[in-house]
Amino acid sequence: MQLKKLESLLYRLITAPSGVAGAIAAERELDAGGLDAIVLGDDRLSAEARLDIYADMYFYRLLDVLKEDFPATLRVLGDDNFHNLVTGYLLEYPPTEPSVFYCGRHLSAFLRGHRLRDGAPFLADLAALERASVEVFHGPDAAALEPDSLRAIAPADWPGLELRIHPSAQILALDWQVSELLRAVEERRPWNPAQPGAVKVLVWRCNARVFYRDLEKTEADALGAASRGATFAQICDLVAARADNRDPVATINRLLARWLSDGLLARTSRPCDLARG
Amino acid sequence: MKRSDFPMLGYGVGLRRQHYSHVLETRPKVDWFEVISENFMVAGGRAPEVLEGVRANYPIVMHGVSMSIGSTDPLSRSYLRQLRDLARRFEPAWISDHLCWTGAGGRNLHDLLPIPYTEEAIRQVVARIRQVQDTLERPILIENVSSYMAFADSTMTEWEFISAVAAEADCGILLDINNIFVSAFNHRFDADEYVDAMPAERVVQYHLAGHSDHGTYLLDTHDHPVRDEVWALYERAARRFGAVSALVEWDDNIPEFTQLAQTADRARTIFATTVQTAEQDSLKNRDDDATEKTGKPALSADHRA
Repeated sequence: MQLKKLESLLYRLITAPSGVAGAIAAERELDAGGLDAIVLGDDRLSAEARLDIYADMYFYRLLDVLKEDFPATLRVLGDDNFHNLVTGYLLEYPPTEPSVFYCGRHLSAFLRGHRLRDGAPFLADLAALERASVEVFHGPDAAALEPDSLRAIAPADWPGLELRIHPSAQILALDWQVSELLRAVEERRPWNPAQPGAVKVLVWRCNARVFYRDLEKTEADALGAASRGATFAQICDLVAARADNRDPVATINRLLARWLSDGLLARTSRPCDLARG
Repeated sequence: MKRSDFPMLGYGVGLRRQHYSHVLETRPKVDWFEVISENFMVAGGRAPEVLEGVRANYPIVMHGVSMSIGSTDPLSRSYLRQLRDLARRFEPAWISDHLCWTGAGGRNLHDLLPIPYTEEAIRQVVARIRQVQDTLERPILIENVSSYMAFADSTMTEWEFISAVAAEADCGILLDINNIFVSAFNHRFDADEYVDAMPAERVVQYHLAGHSDHGTYLLDTHDHPVRDEVWALYERAARRFGAVSALVEWDDNIPEFTQLAQTADRARTIFATTVQTAEQDSLKNRDDDATEKTGKPALSADHRA
Protein backbone atom coordinates (compact mmCIF):
# COMPACT_ATOMS: atom_id res chain seq x y z
CA MET A 1 0.00 0.00 0.00
CA GLN A 2 1.25 3.48 -0.86
CA LEU A 3 2.70 5.28 2.18
CA LYS A 4 0.25 8.19 2.11
CA LYS A 5 -2.72 5.87 1.87
CA LEU A 6 -1.36 3.68 4.65
CA GLU A 7 -0.84 6.55 7.08
CA SER A 8 -4.32 7.97 6.40
CA LEU A 9 -5.87 4.56 6.96
CA LEU A 10 -3.98 3.96 10.21
CA TYR A 11 -4.87 7.45 11.43
CA ARG A 12 -8.57 6.74 10.89
CA LEU A 13 -8.42 3.36 12.61
CA ILE A 14 -6.45 4.63 15.60
CA THR A 15 -8.63 7.68 16.26
CA ALA A 16 -12.02 6.09 15.62
CA PRO A 17 -14.26 6.67 18.66
CA SER A 18 -15.90 3.31 18.04
CA GLY A 19 -12.56 1.55 18.64
CA VAL A 20 -10.28 -0.19 16.18
CA ALA A 21 -12.54 -3.23 15.67
CA GLY A 22 -15.54 -1.08 14.77
CA ALA A 23 -13.45 1.10 12.51
CA ILE A 24 -12.03 -1.92 10.68
CA ALA A 25 -15.54 -3.20 10.03
CA ALA A 26 -16.60 0.16 8.61
CA GLU A 27 -13.41 0.86 6.63
CA ARG A 28 -13.77 0.87 2.85
CA GLU A 29 -10.04 1.16 2.09
CA LEU A 30 -9.35 -2.34 3.44
CA ASP A 31 -9.50 -5.08 0.81
CA ALA A 32 -10.42 -8.72 1.33
CA GLY A 33 -7.25 -9.42 3.30
CA GLY A 34 -8.35 -6.91 5.92
CA LEU A 35 -5.91 -5.38 8.37
CA ASP A 36 -3.90 -8.63 8.47
CA ALA A 37 -2.74 -7.95 4.92
CA ILE A 38 -1.18 -4.70 6.10
CA VAL A 39 -0.11 -5.10 9.73
CA LEU A 40 1.62 -8.27 10.84
CA GLY A 41 -0.03 -10.15 13.68
CA ASP A 42 1.26 -13.23 15.46
CA ASP A 43 0.28 -15.77 18.12
CA ARG A 44 0.85 -13.18 20.86
CA LEU A 45 -0.93 -10.19 19.34
CA SER A 46 -3.22 -9.90 16.35
CA ALA A 47 -2.88 -7.00 13.93
CA GLU A 48 -5.99 -5.47 15.49
CA ALA A 49 -4.60 -5.81 19.02
CA ARG A 50 -1.41 -4.11 17.91
CA LEU A 51 -3.36 -1.17 16.52
CA ASP A 52 -5.38 -1.08 19.74
CA ILE A 53 -2.17 -0.30 21.62
CA TYR A 54 -1.77 2.86 19.52
CA ALA A 55 -5.46 3.74 19.84
CA ASP A 56 -5.24 3.53 23.63
CA MET A 57 -2.06 5.57 23.74
CA TYR A 58 -3.57 8.26 21.52
CA PHE A 59 -6.64 8.69 23.66
CA TYR A 60 -5.15 8.31 27.10
CA ARG A 61 -2.17 10.58 26.43
CA LEU A 62 -4.51 13.40 25.42
CA LEU A 63 -6.93 12.58 28.23
CA ASP A 64 -4.05 12.96 30.71
CA VAL A 65 -3.03 16.29 29.17
CA LEU A 66 -6.60 17.59 29.38
CA LYS A 67 -7.01 16.33 32.95
CA GLU A 68 -3.92 18.27 33.90
CA ASP A 69 -5.04 21.44 32.10
CA PHE A 70 -8.67 21.30 33.35
CA PRO A 71 -8.56 19.97 36.93
CA ALA A 72 -11.69 21.84 38.03
CA THR A 73 -13.74 20.80 35.00
CA LEU A 74 -12.65 17.23 35.75
CA ARG A 75 -13.61 17.58 39.40
CA VAL A 76 -17.07 18.90 38.57
CA LEU A 77 -17.77 16.27 35.92
CA GLY A 78 -16.11 13.27 37.53
CA ASP A 79 -13.88 10.79 35.72
CA ASP A 80 -16.52 9.03 33.61
CA ASN A 81 -18.20 12.17 32.31
CA PHE A 82 -14.84 13.82 31.63
CA HIS A 83 -13.75 10.71 29.72
CA ASN A 84 -16.90 10.89 27.60
CA LEU A 85 -16.47 14.62 27.11
CA VAL A 86 -12.91 14.12 25.82
CA THR A 87 -14.03 11.32 23.50
CA GLY A 88 -16.43 13.68 21.77
CA TYR A 89 -14.07 16.62 21.95
CA LEU A 90 -11.22 14.84 20.17
CA LEU A 91 -13.62 13.79 17.45
CA GLU A 92 -14.65 17.39 16.83
CA TYR A 93 -11.32 19.04 17.59
CA PRO A 94 -8.52 16.57 16.82
CA PRO A 95 -5.07 17.95 17.63
CA THR A 96 -3.48 19.77 14.71
CA GLU A 97 -0.48 21.42 16.38
CA PRO A 98 2.94 19.91 17.13
CA SER A 99 2.63 20.60 20.86
CA VAL A 100 0.01 19.14 23.22
CA PHE A 101 -0.13 22.63 24.75
CA TYR A 102 -2.78 23.49 22.14
CA CYS A 103 -4.99 20.44 22.48
CA GLY A 104 -7.35 21.96 25.04
CA ARG A 105 -7.83 25.32 23.38
CA HIS A 106 -11.35 24.56 22.09
CA LEU A 107 -12.70 22.69 25.12
CA SER A 108 -14.61 25.67 26.47
CA ALA A 109 -16.26 26.30 23.08
CA PHE A 110 -17.06 22.59 22.79
CA LEU A 111 -18.67 22.61 26.23
CA ARG A 112 -20.99 25.49 25.33
CA GLY A 113 -23.08 23.21 23.19
CA HIS A 114 -22.60 20.00 25.16
CA ARG A 115 -25.38 18.19 27.02
CA LEU A 116 -23.13 17.84 30.09
CA ARG A 117 -23.62 21.56 30.56
CA ASP A 118 -27.28 20.95 31.39
CA GLY A 119 -26.39 19.84 34.90
CA ALA A 120 -23.61 22.37 35.34
CA PRO A 121 -24.27 25.41 33.13
CA PHE A 122 -21.10 27.17 34.38
CA LEU A 123 -18.82 24.50 32.90
CA ALA A 124 -17.89 26.35 29.70
CA ASP A 125 -16.87 29.43 31.69
CA LEU A 126 -14.93 27.31 34.15
CA ALA A 127 -13.05 25.65 31.28
CA ALA A 128 -12.41 29.08 29.74
CA LEU A 129 -10.78 30.24 32.97
CA GLU A 130 -8.68 27.09 33.22
CA ARG A 131 -7.58 27.41 29.60
CA ALA A 132 -6.69 31.07 30.11
CA SER A 133 -4.50 30.04 33.05
CA VAL A 134 -2.57 27.66 30.79
CA GLU A 135 -2.18 30.30 28.07
CA VAL A 136 -1.09 32.99 30.49
CA PHE A 137 1.49 30.62 32.00
CA HIS A 138 3.11 30.24 28.58
CA GLY A 139 2.32 33.76 27.35
CA PRO A 140 4.86 36.36 26.17
CA ASP A 141 7.44 37.76 28.56
CA ALA A 142 7.89 41.36 29.63
CA ALA A 143 9.80 42.84 32.53
CA ALA A 144 7.53 44.19 35.26
CA LEU A 145 7.39 47.94 35.74
CA GLU A 146 9.14 49.10 38.91
CA PRO A 147 7.36 51.69 41.12
CA ASP A 148 10.46 53.89 40.90
CA SER A 149 9.90 54.27 37.15
CA LEU A 150 6.53 55.91 37.82
CA ARG A 151 7.92 58.15 40.54
CA ALA A 152 10.49 59.48 38.08
CA ILE A 153 7.86 60.73 35.63
CA ALA A 154 7.49 64.50 35.50
CA PRO A 155 3.96 65.74 36.39
CA ALA A 156 3.56 67.28 32.93
CA ASP A 157 4.12 63.89 31.30
CA TRP A 158 1.46 61.99 33.23
CA PRO A 159 -1.58 62.87 31.11
CA GLY A 160 -0.01 61.45 27.94
CA LEU A 161 1.40 58.41 29.68
CA GLU A 162 0.48 55.02 28.24
CA LEU A 163 0.47 52.16 30.71
CA ARG A 164 1.39 48.81 29.22
CA ILE A 165 -0.41 45.79 30.58
CA HIS A 166 1.74 42.66 30.75
CA PRO A 167 1.35 40.97 27.34
CA SER A 168 0.50 37.59 28.86
CA ALA A 169 -2.48 38.97 30.83
CA GLN A 170 -6.04 38.19 29.76
CA ILE A 171 -9.39 39.64 30.79
CA LEU A 172 -12.24 37.16 30.39
CA ALA A 173 -15.87 38.22 30.16
CA LEU A 174 -17.87 35.38 31.74
CA ASP A 175 -21.50 34.75 32.57
CA TRP A 176 -20.80 32.63 35.64
CA GLN A 177 -18.74 33.43 38.72
CA VAL A 178 -16.35 30.53 38.49
CA SER A 179 -13.23 31.93 40.18
CA GLU A 180 -14.15 30.70 43.65
CA LEU A 181 -14.92 27.22 42.31
CA LEU A 182 -11.50 27.00 40.62
CA ARG A 183 -9.79 28.30 43.76
CA ALA A 184 -11.57 25.69 45.88
CA VAL A 185 -10.38 22.90 43.58
CA GLU A 186 -6.83 24.24 43.52
CA GLU A 187 -6.81 24.42 47.30
CA ARG A 188 -8.38 20.96 47.56
CA ARG A 189 -11.44 22.31 49.36
CA PRO A 190 -15.06 21.25 48.78
CA TRP A 191 -16.52 23.25 45.91
CA ASN A 192 -19.94 24.77 45.33
CA PRO A 193 -21.58 25.29 41.94
CA ALA A 194 -20.78 28.71 40.45
CA GLN A 195 -23.49 31.35 40.59
CA PRO A 196 -24.81 33.13 37.53
CA GLY A 197 -23.74 36.73 36.97
CA ALA A 198 -21.69 38.58 34.41
CA VAL A 199 -18.14 39.05 35.60
CA LYS A 200 -14.80 40.02 34.17
CA VAL A 201 -11.90 37.96 35.40
CA LEU A 202 -8.29 39.09 35.16
CA VAL A 203 -5.75 36.30 34.60
CA TRP A 204 -2.12 37.32 34.81
CA ARG A 205 1.34 36.05 35.52
CA CYS A 206 3.85 37.33 38.04
CA ASN A 207 7.18 35.65 38.80
CA ALA A 208 6.21 32.56 36.78
CA ARG A 209 2.98 32.07 38.76
CA VAL A 210 -0.51 32.52 37.35
CA PHE A 211 -3.10 34.50 39.33
CA TYR A 212 -6.72 35.36 38.69
CA ARG A 213 -9.31 37.57 40.32
CA ASP A 214 -12.72 39.02 39.57
CA LEU A 215 -12.63 42.66 38.57
CA GLU A 216 -14.95 45.39 39.80
CA LYS A 217 -16.45 47.33 36.93
CA THR A 218 -14.25 50.43 37.30
CA GLU A 219 -11.06 48.38 37.30
CA ALA A 220 -12.25 46.24 34.40
CA ASP A 221 -13.00 49.34 32.34
CA ALA A 222 -9.70 51.00 33.27
CA LEU A 223 -7.68 47.88 32.43
CA GLY A 224 -9.60 47.39 29.22
CA ALA A 225 -8.87 50.98 28.19
CA ALA A 226 -5.20 50.67 29.14
CA SER A 227 -4.84 47.50 27.10
CA ARG A 228 -6.33 49.33 24.11
CA GLY A 229 -3.64 52.04 24.41
CA ALA A 230 -5.59 54.74 26.29
CA THR A 231 -3.53 57.50 27.90
CA PHE A 232 -3.44 58.02 31.63
CA ALA A 233 -5.65 61.09 31.23
CA GLN A 234 -8.24 59.05 29.32
CA ILE A 235 -8.20 56.37 32.00
CA CYS A 236 -8.67 59.05 34.69
CA ASP A 237 -11.62 60.49 32.75
CA LEU A 238 -13.15 57.07 32.49
CA VAL A 239 -12.80 56.44 36.24
CA ALA A 240 -14.12 59.92 37.09
CA ALA A 241 -17.15 59.42 34.85
CA ARG A 242 -18.38 56.59 37.01
CA ALA A 243 -21.46 57.99 38.73
CA ASP A 244 -20.80 56.13 41.95
CA ASN A 245 -17.18 57.22 42.22
CA ARG A 246 -16.91 60.01 44.77
CA ASP A 247 -13.12 60.07 44.94
CA PRO A 248 -11.62 59.26 41.51
CA VAL A 249 -8.12 60.32 42.58
CA ALA A 250 -8.14 57.81 45.42
CA THR A 251 -9.51 55.18 43.06
CA ILE A 252 -6.77 55.77 40.49
CA ASN A 253 -4.11 55.66 43.20
CA ARG A 254 -5.52 52.42 44.54
CA LEU A 255 -5.66 50.83 41.10
CA LEU A 256 -2.14 51.89 40.18
CA ALA A 257 -0.75 50.62 43.47
CA ARG A 258 -2.46 47.28 43.01
CA TRP A 259 -1.38 46.87 39.38
CA LEU A 260 2.19 47.60 40.40
CA SER A 261 2.17 45.18 43.31
CA ASP A 262 0.52 42.52 41.15
CA GLY A 263 3.27 42.88 38.52
CA LEU A 264 0.56 43.63 36.00
CA LEU A 265 2.28 46.62 34.43
CA ALA A 266 5.13 46.01 32.04
CA ARG A 267 8.13 48.11 31.19
CA THR A 268 8.04 49.65 27.77
CA SER A 269 10.40 51.42 25.44
CA ARG A 270 7.87 53.23 23.30
CA PRO A 271 8.69 56.94 22.98
CA CYS A 272 5.21 58.13 23.95
CA ASP A 273 5.16 56.40 27.28
CA LEU A 274 7.26 55.57 30.30
CA ALA A 275 10.64 55.70 28.62
CA ARG A 276 10.06 59.38 28.07
CA GLY A 277 9.44 59.82 31.75
CA MET B 1 28.78 13.42 8.86
CA LYS B 2 30.63 11.38 11.47
CA ARG B 3 30.46 11.06 15.23
CA SER B 4 33.61 13.08 15.73
CA ASP B 5 31.78 16.10 14.25
CA PHE B 6 29.81 16.19 17.49
CA PRO B 7 31.14 16.69 21.03
CA MET B 8 31.15 13.80 23.50
CA LEU B 9 28.88 15.27 26.14
CA GLY B 10 29.18 12.45 28.65
CA TYR B 11 26.22 11.17 30.67
CA GLY B 12 23.10 13.27 30.99
CA VAL B 13 19.44 13.17 31.93
CA GLY B 14 16.25 14.47 30.36
CA LEU B 15 15.17 17.80 31.88
CA ARG B 16 11.65 17.47 33.24
CA ARG B 17 9.37 20.03 34.86
CA GLN B 18 9.43 18.24 38.23
CA HIS B 19 13.16 18.91 38.52
CA TYR B 20 13.33 22.52 37.27
CA SER B 21 13.80 24.08 40.70
CA HIS B 22 16.22 21.41 41.90
CA VAL B 23 18.42 21.82 38.84
CA LEU B 24 18.42 25.61 38.97
CA GLU B 25 18.98 25.84 42.71
CA THR B 26 21.48 23.05 43.33
CA ARG B 27 23.27 22.69 39.97
CA PRO B 28 23.50 18.90 40.36
CA LYS B 29 26.51 17.02 39.09
CA VAL B 30 25.40 15.74 35.72
CA ASP B 31 27.16 16.25 32.40
CA TRP B 32 24.32 17.56 30.24
CA PHE B 33 20.57 17.82 29.73
CA GLU B 34 18.27 16.90 26.90
CA VAL B 35 15.07 18.92 26.54
CA ILE B 36 11.90 18.18 24.60
CA SER B 37 11.96 20.89 21.93
CA GLU B 38 8.18 21.34 21.73
CA ASN B 39 7.94 22.09 25.47
CA PHE B 40 9.90 25.27 24.84
CA MET B 41 8.12 26.42 21.69
CA VAL B 42 6.04 28.84 23.72
CA ALA B 43 5.90 32.62 23.74
CA GLY B 44 7.42 32.99 27.19
CA GLY B 45 6.93 32.14 30.84
CA ARG B 46 8.68 29.68 33.08
CA ALA B 47 9.81 27.10 30.52
CA PRO B 48 12.16 29.32 28.47
CA GLU B 49 13.27 31.11 31.62
CA VAL B 50 14.26 27.78 33.17
CA LEU B 51 16.06 26.73 30.01
CA GLU B 52 18.06 29.97 30.04
CA GLY B 53 19.19 29.12 33.56
CA VAL B 54 20.02 25.52 32.75
CA ARG B 55 21.83 26.42 29.55
CA ALA B 56 24.05 28.85 31.47
CA ASN B 57 25.49 25.90 33.39
CA TYR B 58 25.16 22.82 31.17
CA PRO B 59 25.36 21.73 27.56
CA ILE B 60 21.92 20.91 26.20
CA VAL B 61 20.53 18.89 23.33
CA MET B 62 17.12 19.55 21.77
CA HIS B 63 15.04 16.42 21.22
CA GLY B 64 11.79 16.72 19.29
CA VAL B 65 8.68 14.56 19.19
CA SER B 66 6.64 16.20 16.42
CA MET B 67 8.80 16.65 13.34
CA SER B 68 6.97 13.69 11.82
CA ILE B 69 9.84 12.93 9.49
CA GLY B 70 8.10 9.79 8.24
CA SER B 71 4.81 11.48 7.41
CA THR B 72 3.57 12.11 3.89
CA ASP B 73 2.10 15.47 4.96
CA PRO B 74 4.25 18.45 3.96
CA LEU B 75 6.85 19.36 6.58
CA SER B 76 5.57 22.18 8.74
CA ARG B 77 7.58 25.28 7.86
CA SER B 78 6.28 27.05 10.91
CA TYR B 79 7.44 24.17 13.13
CA LEU B 80 10.88 24.16 11.53
CA ARG B 81 11.17 27.94 11.90
CA GLN B 82 10.33 27.68 15.58
CA LEU B 83 12.85 24.88 15.99
CA ARG B 84 15.53 26.90 14.21
CA ASP B 85 14.79 29.97 16.36
CA LEU B 86 14.92 27.88 19.51
CA ALA B 87 18.26 26.43 18.44
CA ARG B 88 19.65 29.89 17.71
CA ARG B 89 18.62 31.06 21.15
CA PHE B 90 19.79 28.09 23.21
CA GLU B 91 22.62 26.70 21.07
CA PRO B 92 22.13 22.98 21.62
CA ALA B 93 25.00 20.59 20.90
CA TRP B 94 22.65 18.94 18.40
CA ILE B 95 19.00 18.45 17.46
CA SER B 96 17.25 15.11 17.22
CA ASP B 97 13.84 13.63 16.47
CA HIS B 98 12.31 10.25 15.77
CA LEU B 99 12.28 8.10 12.67
CA CYS B 100 8.51 7.84 12.62
CA TRP B 101 5.33 9.64 11.65
CA THR B 102 3.11 11.43 14.14
CA GLY B 103 0.05 12.41 12.14
CA ALA B 104 -1.76 12.46 8.83
CA GLY B 105 -3.94 14.92 6.94
CA GLY B 106 -2.82 17.84 9.11
CA ARG B 107 -3.83 16.10 12.32
CA ASN B 108 -1.48 15.08 15.08
CA LEU B 109 -1.59 11.79 16.96
CA HIS B 110 1.04 12.92 19.48
CA ASP B 111 2.51 9.46 19.21
CA LEU B 112 5.49 7.93 17.41
CA LEU B 113 4.32 5.50 14.74
CA PRO B 114 6.56 3.19 12.74
CA ILE B 115 7.12 3.37 9.01
CA PRO B 116 7.10 0.40 6.66
CA TYR B 117 10.69 -0.46 5.81
CA THR B 118 10.56 -0.01 2.05
CA GLU B 119 12.54 1.75 -0.67
CA GLU B 120 9.62 4.17 -1.10
CA ALA B 121 9.82 5.12 2.58
CA ILE B 122 13.60 5.56 2.39
CA ARG B 123 13.24 8.00 -0.50
CA GLN B 124 10.47 9.88 1.28
CA VAL B 125 12.26 10.13 4.63
CA VAL B 126 15.67 10.96 3.19
CA ALA B 127 14.26 13.88 1.17
CA ARG B 128 12.58 15.24 4.29
CA ILE B 129 15.65 14.90 6.50
CA ARG B 130 17.68 16.78 3.91
CA GLN B 131 15.05 19.53 3.87
CA VAL B 132 15.15 19.74 7.67
CA GLN B 133 18.93 19.81 7.74
CA ASP B 134 18.97 22.59 5.13
CA THR B 135 16.55 24.66 7.21
CA LEU B 136 18.35 24.05 10.48
CA GLU B 137 21.73 24.41 8.78
CA ARG B 138 23.12 21.41 10.63
CA PRO B 139 22.92 17.62 10.54
CA ILE B 140 20.27 16.13 12.79
CA LEU B 141 20.07 12.82 14.63
CA ILE B 142 17.24 10.38 14.01
CA GLU B 143 16.09 7.99 16.71
CA ASN B 144 14.77 4.46 16.40
CA VAL B 145 11.31 4.22 18.04
CA SER B 146 9.70 1.49 20.09
CA SER B 147 7.02 -0.12 17.97
CA TYR B 148 4.06 -2.40 18.44
CA MET B 149 3.24 -3.05 14.81
CA ALA B 150 5.22 -4.07 11.76
CA PHE B 151 4.10 -4.02 8.15
CA ALA B 152 3.57 -6.75 5.61
CA ASP B 153 5.03 -4.43 2.96
CA SER B 154 8.43 -4.09 4.68
CA THR B 155 11.24 -5.43 2.52
CA MET B 156 14.10 -5.03 4.98
CA THR B 157 14.88 -5.09 8.70
CA GLU B 158 14.59 -2.01 10.89
CA TRP B 159 18.36 -1.81 11.26
CA GLU B 160 18.85 -1.99 7.50
CA PHE B 161 16.25 0.73 7.08
CA ILE B 162 17.71 3.15 9.64
CA SER B 163 21.24 2.53 8.36
CA ALA B 164 20.17 3.25 4.78
CA VAL B 165 18.27 6.40 5.77
CA ALA B 166 21.18 7.74 7.84
CA ALA B 167 23.68 7.04 5.06
CA GLU B 168 21.61 8.59 2.27
CA ALA B 169 20.50 11.61 4.30
CA ASP B 170 23.95 11.94 5.84
CA CYS B 171 22.55 12.33 9.34
CA GLY B 172 23.44 10.93 12.74
CA ILE B 173 21.70 8.24 14.76
CA LEU B 174 20.32 8.53 18.26
CA LEU B 175 20.29 4.90 19.26
CA ASP B 176 17.64 4.22 21.87
CA ILE B 177 18.82 1.04 23.55
CA ASN B 178 15.54 0.49 25.36
CA ASN B 179 13.58 0.93 22.13
CA ILE B 180 15.68 -1.74 20.46
CA PHE B 181 14.97 -4.09 23.36
CA VAL B 182 11.23 -3.32 23.38
CA SER B 183 10.82 -3.69 19.61
CA ALA B 184 12.97 -6.83 19.57
CA PHE B 185 10.56 -8.46 22.01
CA ASN B 186 7.45 -7.16 20.25
CA HIS B 187 8.60 -8.27 16.78
CA ARG B 188 10.81 -11.20 17.76
CA PHE B 189 14.03 -9.97 16.27
CA ASP B 190 17.52 -10.22 17.72
CA ALA B 191 18.48 -7.06 19.61
CA ASP B 192 22.16 -7.96 19.50
CA GLU B 193 22.02 -8.26 15.72
CA TYR B 194 20.47 -4.78 15.59
CA VAL B 195 23.27 -3.23 17.67
CA ASP B 196 25.93 -5.08 15.72
CA ALA B 197 24.53 -3.81 12.42
CA MET B 198 24.46 -0.11 13.29
CA PRO B 199 26.95 2.08 11.39
CA ALA B 200 29.33 2.97 14.25
CA GLU B 201 30.46 6.28 12.80
CA ARG B 202 26.89 7.61 12.78
CA VAL B 203 25.87 6.69 16.34
CA VAL B 204 26.15 10.01 18.21
CA GLN B 205 23.89 9.45 21.21
CA TYR B 206 22.14 6.75 23.24
CA HIS B 207 18.86 6.84 25.08
CA LEU B 208 18.42 4.67 28.15
CA ALA B 209 14.99 4.24 29.72
CA GLY B 210 12.64 1.84 31.45
CA HIS B 211 9.65 0.06 29.96
CA SER B 212 6.67 -1.89 31.25
CA ASP B 213 5.95 -5.55 30.63
CA HIS B 214 2.38 -6.31 29.52
CA GLY B 215 2.96 -10.00 29.05
CA THR B 216 2.29 -10.25 25.35
CA TYR B 217 4.18 -7.06 24.60
CA LEU B 218 6.55 -4.51 26.12
CA LEU B 219 5.51 -0.87 26.28
CA ASP B 220 8.00 1.99 26.14
CA THR B 221 6.64 3.88 29.14
CA HIS B 222 9.76 5.56 30.56
CA ASP B 223 8.30 4.98 34.01
CA HIS B 224 10.61 2.31 35.42
CA PRO B 225 14.31 1.97 36.13
CA VAL B 226 16.37 0.73 33.19
CA ARG B 227 16.04 -3.06 33.15
CA ASP B 228 19.07 -5.33 33.46
CA GLU B 229 18.57 -6.68 29.94
CA VAL B 230 18.72 -3.14 28.57
CA TRP B 231 21.90 -2.46 30.54
CA ALA B 232 23.37 -5.60 29.00
CA LEU B 233 22.48 -4.33 25.53
CA TYR B 234 24.01 -0.96 26.39
CA GLU B 235 27.19 -2.74 27.42
CA ARG B 236 27.27 -4.45 24.04
CA ALA B 237 26.79 -1.09 22.31
CA ALA B 238 29.49 0.50 24.47
CA ARG B 239 31.91 -2.26 23.45
CA ARG B 240 31.10 -1.81 19.80
CA PHE B 241 30.82 1.98 19.48
CA GLY B 242 33.21 3.31 22.14
CA ALA B 243 32.56 6.69 23.74
CA VAL B 244 29.04 7.87 22.89
CA SER B 245 27.00 10.49 24.79
CA ALA B 246 24.29 8.74 26.81
CA LEU B 247 21.04 10.12 28.17
CA VAL B 248 18.60 8.77 30.76
CA GLU B 249 14.91 9.37 29.95
CA TRP B 250 12.20 9.23 32.60
CA ASP B 251 8.74 10.63 31.79
CA ASP B 252 6.25 9.06 34.17
CA ASN B 253 6.45 8.15 37.87
CA ILE B 254 9.42 10.47 37.79
CA PRO B 255 11.70 9.83 40.80
CA GLU B 256 13.94 12.22 42.71
CA PHE B 257 16.63 13.78 40.57
CA THR B 258 19.34 11.86 42.42
CA GLN B 259 17.99 8.57 41.03
CA LEU B 260 18.26 9.91 37.49
CA ALA B 261 21.78 11.16 38.13
CA GLN B 262 22.71 7.77 39.61
CA THR B 263 21.36 6.05 36.51
CA ALA B 264 23.50 8.32 34.32
CA ASP B 265 26.48 7.47 36.53
CA ARG B 266 25.77 3.79 36.09
CA ALA B 267 25.99 4.28 32.33
CA ARG B 268 29.32 6.03 32.85
CA THR B 269 30.64 3.22 35.05
CA ILE B 270 29.49 0.50 32.66
CA PHE B 271 31.22 2.24 29.79
CA ALA B 272 34.45 2.69 31.77
CA THR B 273 34.41 -0.95 32.89
CA THR B 274 33.57 -2.15 29.40
CA VAL B 275 36.42 -0.19 27.86
CA GLN B 276 38.81 -1.39 30.56
CA THR B 277 37.76 -5.00 30.02
CA ALA B 278 38.01 -4.62 26.27
CA GLU B 279 41.52 -3.21 26.61
CA GLN B 280 42.52 -6.04 28.93
CA ASP B 281 41.03 -8.57 26.52
CA SER B 282 42.87 -6.94 23.67
CA LEU B 283 46.13 -7.03 25.58
CA LYS B 284 45.55 -10.62 26.59
CA ASN B 285 44.90 -11.57 23.00
CA ARG B 286 48.10 -9.86 21.96
CA ASP B 287 49.96 -11.56 24.82
CA ASP B 288 48.53 -14.92 23.78
CA ASP B 289 49.61 -14.24 20.23
CA ALA B 290 53.09 -13.27 21.43
CA THR B 291 53.35 -16.36 23.64
CA GLU B 292 52.32 -18.53 20.77
CA LYS B 293 54.91 -17.00 18.50
CA THR B 294 57.87 -16.75 20.90
CA GLY B 295 57.02 -19.30 23.53
CA LYS B 296 57.53 -16.60 26.17
CA PRO B 297 54.97 -14.35 27.95
CA ALA B 298 54.79 -10.86 26.45
CA LEU B 299 55.52 -7.81 28.53
CA SER B 300 52.63 -6.63 30.63
CA ALA B 301 50.92 -3.37 29.88
CA ASP B 302 52.69 -1.72 32.83
CA HIS B 303 56.09 -2.75 31.61
CA ARG B 304 55.41 -1.47 28.16
CA ALA B 305 54.35 1.83 29.61
